[in-house]
Formats: sequence, C-alpha cells, structure tokens
Amino acid sequence: MSSGEFYFDNCMTSKPAPEVLLAMQPYLTEKFWYPGSFISTGEAINAALAEFKAIIAKSLNANPKEVHFTMGGTLANNIAIKGLLTANSDKGTHIICSTVDYPDLLTNAAFFEQSGFEVTYLPADAEGFVSAEDLKAAIKSDTILFMTTIANHVIGTIQPMAEYKKVLEEADHKIFFHADAGQAYGKMLLDVNELGVDTLSVSAHKIHGPQGAGALFVKQGTNLGQLIHGVSRVDNLQTGGVNIALLAGFAKAVELNFTDPQTQIDKLYELSEYLLTTIEKTIPHIELNGPRGRKRAAHNINVTIDYIEGEALAMMLDLQGITVATGSACASQGLTPNYILLAIGKNHMQSHGSLKFTISRYITREDIDFAVAKLAEIAAELRRRSPLYKEQ
Amino acid sequence: MQYSQKVLDHFMHPHNVGKMENPDATATEGSPACGDQVTVYLKVNEQDKTIEDISFLSYGCASNIATASIITDLAKGKSLDEAKKITWKDAMEALDGLPPVKVHCSVLAADTLQTAISNYEIAKGLKPVPEFTKEIIVAELKKIIYPQVGEDIVSLKMVKYVGFTDGEVVIDLNIPAFDTWRDNVVEEIKEHLQKYSDIKDLKINLP
Repeated sequence: MSSGEFYFDNCMTSKPAPEVLLAMQPYLTEKFWYPGSFISTGEAINAALAEFKAIIAKSLNANPKEVHFTMGGTLANNIAIKGLLTANSDKGTHIICSTVDYPDLLTNAAFFEQSGFEVTYLPADAEGFVSAEDLKAAIKSDTILFMTTIANHVIGTIQPMAEYKKVLEEADHKIFFHADAGQAYGKMLLDVNELGVDTLSVSAHKIHGPQGAGALFVKQGTNLGQLIHGVSRVDNLQTGGVNIALLAGFAKAVELNFTDPQTQIDKLYELSEYLLTTIEKTIPHIELNGPRGRKRAAHNINVTIDYIEGEALAMMLDLQGITVATGSACASQGLTPNYILLAIGKNHMQSHGSLKFTISRYITREDIDFAVAKLAEIAAELRRRSPLYKEQ
Repeated sequence: MQYSQKVLDHFMHPHNVGKMENPDATATEGSPACGDQVTVYLKVNEQDKTIEDISFLSYGCASNIATASIITDLAKGKSLDEAKKITWKDAMEALDGLPPVKVHCSVLAADTLQTAISNYEIAKGLKPVPEFTKEIIVAELKKIIYPQVGEDIVSLKMVKYVGFTDGEVVIDLNIPAFDTWRDNVVEEIKEHLQKYSDIKDLKINLP
C-alpha cells in the first residue's frame, strides 16, 4: 500500500494521463519557445497554440476565437467575473448567484459587495438545486450578472441550465451569464451555445490534464474589462507568460476525454452508481448527500456516515492508501463545517460525518470493492468508540 | 500538517476504549454539533481514592481520540488528587505534541476527566456543589485555544475583561476584525459556556 494508491479525490485534482505527459515533453525540451512572428520558432508555437485552442473549442462547441487560455480555473473565473462587471457596471450593479456556488464565485461576489454592488444569494433546496423561478423572482432592473456552478463541487448537483437560459432570455434587459464548469467539464456534454452562457470556465487538472492550466470561453462580442495588464503574448485577457507545455498537456487531456465522450460519461455513472449501492448494501446508517442518478455529476458520490466524525474516518482510510475528502470542520482550514452541506439544510453533525468520493476512469470495480470493504471495517471500529452510536 | 507517530498509534489503537458497566462516576463533554464529544467512565477505590479503572468513548477527530486514549493512560492508577493535576498540556506532551490547529482538540478529553473526578467528589460528599463565579468563566476561557498558535486565549492576552453580575456575563475580546480566527473563537466561547445554567445572558464585545 502506498499513499493515494486508491485515489477517490478527483474533484480536487486528478492524475495526469500518461499520454498527457508525453504530449508535454517536447515543449519542455526542444520546443521550449515562445509565440512570435516571422521566425520559425515563434511560428511553430503559434501553430501549436492554434491547434490546442481548436481542440478545446471543439469540446465545448465554441469557436476557437472564443477560447482563451488561463493558468487555471480560478483565474478564468476572475477574468470573467471582474471583466464583465468592470466593463458593464454602468448598466447595473446587481449580481445574482447562489449559496451553493464554488468559492471562486462567492468570494468574487463578496468582493464586489464590499465595493458597493448588491448581491442576491439564491437558496438551494435539500438536494442542492437552485430554482430558475427563484432566479426569475430575483431579477431587478439593474441586474447585470447571474453566475452559477454547473455541477456542484461537493454534492455533484447539476443545475437546471436550460431553465436559467430561458429566464435570462425572457428578461427585459441583457443579464450576463457566467458559469463555472470546473466539475462539469468532461463529466457531462457541454455546448456553450445551448447553455446560453456569455463566459464559462474550465480547468485542465480535473480531467487528467496538468495542474496550472485552464480556459475561459468568452462569447464573441462580449466586452470584458482587462484584469491583468502586461505584455500581450497571446491575448489581452491574460497577459504575461504562456506555459506552452501545460497547454499541450491540457489539449491532450481534452482529446482523450472527448473521444466518444458519452460512452466515457456513461461508464463514470455506472461506476459511481456501483460505489453508492455497494456502500448502501455494506454499511448501515448512511445517507446520500445531493440527488441520486443522472441529476448529479457522473463522478461524485457524497455520503454521511452517521455517528462518526469525518476527519478520523478520512485519516484511517488514508492509512490504507484510500484518499477521500470530508466535510468535517476538523479537516477544514478554517475549522468550519462544509458550507454547501449546511446550505442544503444538513446539520453540523451531518457535515462533520460526510465523505466525498470522486472517481475517475482509472478507478475499477475492484478498487471500489476494496475501498468500501475498508470503509465498512473502519466505520464499525469508529462507531464502537463513539458515545453517539447505540448498537441496533 | 503532520501528526506524531504517538498520535497515530493512539488513534489507530486507542487504550481503554468502551462503555464501563456500573462506573462510580461519569462525565460527557462537548457536542456532536461542535464535532467532538467525549465520555469518561471512572471506577474509584473508596479506601485509598485511586482510579482503579477508566475508559472513554469519543466522537471526534484523530487528535481527539488520541488525547482521550493518553489521558486515560495518565490517570489510571493515580490518586484523585494526582489525577486532578492532569491537564491538556500533559496529554499533548505525552503524545509528542500536536499541530497548533489541533491543540484545541486535546482540551476536551482533559476537561472530561476533570468533570468526571469532580462529579465523583460531589456524589460522595467530598466537596460541595461549586458556586458559580467569575473564576469558573475565566477557567473556561483558559481552555479555548487560538488555533493558529495552539495557545489559550487568556495566555495570549486576547481577553481584556470578564464580568459576571446577576447572571449576565460580559467578555471583552482583543481580537481585530481582520483576524480569520475571530468567529471561531467567539463560537468556542459560546459552546464552552452554554452548559452553565447560571448564565442567563452572554455578551461578547469585539473591537
């Protein structure tokens, strides 16, 4: 057994595919160049970047001109949100998002709130859905931006994007629509035209690409204020250096993920369903957090193991080479329970006892059998020690 | 953040775990909502007042379980007077230390042991039911650990004033608004004081 041998935290980051490393290598060795004009080295990189951009654009059904490289998902979210709001604040200063959005969105909302914007945080229901009716009711004459997290990063809930699109189209003025697709990308089919978004962020390392690379879709004709000023090597949305090797790896990861994507997604659903039913069959007193089936992201299973504190559980699993995440306050940096679980009405104890498994194509049924068998042993041992558990 | 090998040993193979049949005294501290709860059971020799047997149950994280385990080791065989001197700092030392952010988890088990001893002494008429005073509040504040450095808020001079009149507690804290642990400390104070029925109202003033 070695650390992370059974890796169930792919929502945090995922193992780079071997093909990805191979694709990166030439750009770390002989093709170490920067983009440029009229010289062969620079032109080679220009051509490579255009190729990578086309691959990523195709995966989202976007035009390559609408795809901008960033150094990760958080930067993409910041470029989009700050760019949209600074360029359009004369048209309105009201933002709508939800209590269950990804921290990138919520911290940006809080930042603009402090700068004088008004923010409406839509509530989520018990499964984490944020309703389009609530969105409709929240729209005001000065609403400028609605942002959402397509697939929830904790409980996997997939938001009703088509309904949001309809509400925003029916509004009496333009409301910009930004979506974080960090957990949705590669786990469901995304078509930026169908989604109706103006901006959308994706990240490479969640789909077996390298860490530190991401992309931002910006619908043609959308004006974004510039966030980072400096030398423009590729475009003005992200100035400064460009890490060509990471982008080569990103493009390769996208190619691999988007070869017969529906079959790959179906396989993830099969595996995650198998994981959930195996847990349910093996361990008493557990509850699923978030919806069941195809309304949650294909790779995510989040369960609360009653009467047990999650940090102890996650640590014991870790000592067996099994990596999972927990909503326990004791395992969090700020010593607070998970805000998503509290926002969907779970109590502190349910959050402390929650475990999140996020699978990948490198997980097998045998891995799941092993992990659940260990989890069952560990849960029984921790329940034996718990003053809250009365044996049935 | 890394746990010592001792912490891992006591976490994976804790000593003295389990409910005790017919204990002479017991105490439960903490709450599931706060993420940790410990129950301590004592069997005390009536003649020489030594702890003959001790066990615990814990709902909590690794350091909580490890501290409860080591506390029971430290107390077993000791006289009540000796056991009364065992603090969370002793537990931490015996575990070869804890990461600063985890020090607060070590307080609960030590606390529960002391409450169990106190419950025994009250039940046997060895001491009167203590009157509620300001000193009890201060003693509670000394158990609240500032997570960043792993020291209690009284030693760190984060408590400027404590008042107690007619059931009303007033605590002035010297923790600035930009301190990321401020809400955490305020919550901890509320959790520690909520068990006292003598407190009718609690006001925490912040700069």
